[in-house]
Amino acid sequence: MNDHTVRDDATSPPNQLLAALQADEWQRWAPYLEWVSLSAGQVLCESGDTPAFVYFPTSAVVSLMSSTRDGGSAELAVVGHDGMIGIAVFMGGNAMPSAAVVQATGVALRLSASTLKSLLQRSVPTLQVLLRYAQALMAQVAQTALCNRYHSIDQQLSRRLLLGFDRSADDALSMTHEDAARLLGVRREGITAAAQRLQQGGVIRYWRGRIRVLDRARLEQRACECYASVANEQSRLLAC
Amino acid sequence: MPAQSLSNPAADPRKNQLLAALPRAEWQRWQPQLEAVELPLGQVLYESGSTLGHVYFPTTAIVSLLYVMQNGESAEIAVVGREGIVGVALFMGGESTPSRAVVQSAGHGFRLKAQAVKQEFEASPAVMHLLLRYTQALITQMAQTAVCNRHHSLDQQLCRWLLLSLDRLSGSELQMTQKLIANMLGVRREGVTEAALKLQKAGLIQYSRGRILALDRPGLEQRSCECYAVVKKEYDRLLPTTAL
Repeated sequence: MNDHTVRDDATSPPNQLLAALQADEWQRWAPYLEWVSLSAGQVLCESGDTPAFVYFPTSAVVSLMSSTRDGGSAELAVVGHDGMIGIAVFMGGNAMPSAAVVQATGVALRLSASTLKSLLQRSVPTLQVLLRYAQALMAQVAQTALCNRYHSIDQQLSRRLLLGFDRSADDALSMTHEDAARLLGVRREGITAAAQRLQQGGVIRYWRGRIRVLDRARLEQRACECYASVANEQSRLLAC
Repeated sequence: MPAQSLSNPAADPRKNQLLAALPRAEWQRWQPQLEAVELPLGQVLYESGSTLGHVYFPTTAIVSLLYVMQNGESAEIAVVGREGIVGVALFMGGESTPSRAVVQSAGHGFRLKAQAVKQEFEASPAVMHLLLRYTQALITQMAQTAVCNRHHSLDQQLCRWLLLSLDRLSGSELQMTQKLIANMLGVRREGVTEAALKLQKAGLIQYSRGRILALDRPGLEQRSCECYAVVKKEYDRLLPTTAL
């Protein structure tokens, strides 16, 4: 594995699912993987579309978004170097009723959907890795449903920032108040007030659309339990 | 199908649509291993975090998947009835899940041992395909619940929830208390009472002690948010349909 440039690219953190592939599997996959740059706002797959590619982000972060007919939006899950975009390709049915939108500019490895299907046909261990990831993603979506019901905007913003920081190579995120409002499906004014409270508490610093974490431990205290639940479930499922 | 309609649903595993969709060879292997179970209201099939011993295929019962918080409050993230299976973590991996599975409408079902379902999942491409498509539909239902919890009114959510439940029953009557509905939706009971009264005044349901009778199904669909239709469409697309 050490001899391969795709996996050992020094400029980007590895993707954890690709890193979990067995050595011989990796040899089969590597020739088909292609580096792509993803920019914030780019739509990788519209709701209901059949994806042509699956993506394994390394430094990019992608949001799975759902929207209502009257324009309300809500982020269902965040996918970064911990996961992949396009689980419907191996789950079946091809399309998902959510859209995949790039939230943080960066790079990813992509693979055509048909190649993924044929690679998986011959490898049970690899499919098992991906199924465990799908299970973790399901837990994240379900936890978001619970969180949307019960928790305050302050708690939800803290949770979302932590999910973002975990998937970011540095300790700053590019996220405007509008971005955060769209992700959480709330009004921008609510985000502005919540961000001010976090900033006044010395937890984060918001500056020109970039958020820097000053005190991670306190950010975790301000978040609801949903952050830890999702992180624990994912590390349990993917620690193989 | 007069013979079919007279048969006892408790004795026919093929009232579950996933079991009904199994190819002949798989069905013949599964049949002797399936165990009929009664699923009384409120029974917990598995707790959050516990290792699952069986998967369950409801035939006449409905099971709620709930997420529970540290303070004990909970919200339903999906319902599973005769179209589905409870316990996807057994074949997805991980053996346990953070959700709790509770019988929401009493009835019957069948169960299969954990080891058996894992073996079948790995041995039979048809079984794998069927169960993964179901799981994909289940993820859609959870995702829609997340959006619905954010954006829609309690009135709309109650209609969505009633419709999802009615689809999984053979009649138009639900045995259900408002307290139970409040727990499922994760709202206060007073809110459910108020929403149910509105639906009753509009002639859509008849509510009396512990039971809800649907009187006007198209009316409920109109009042529901789009979430019901989104989930139904995805289930129809992904899952086998069988003549019931």
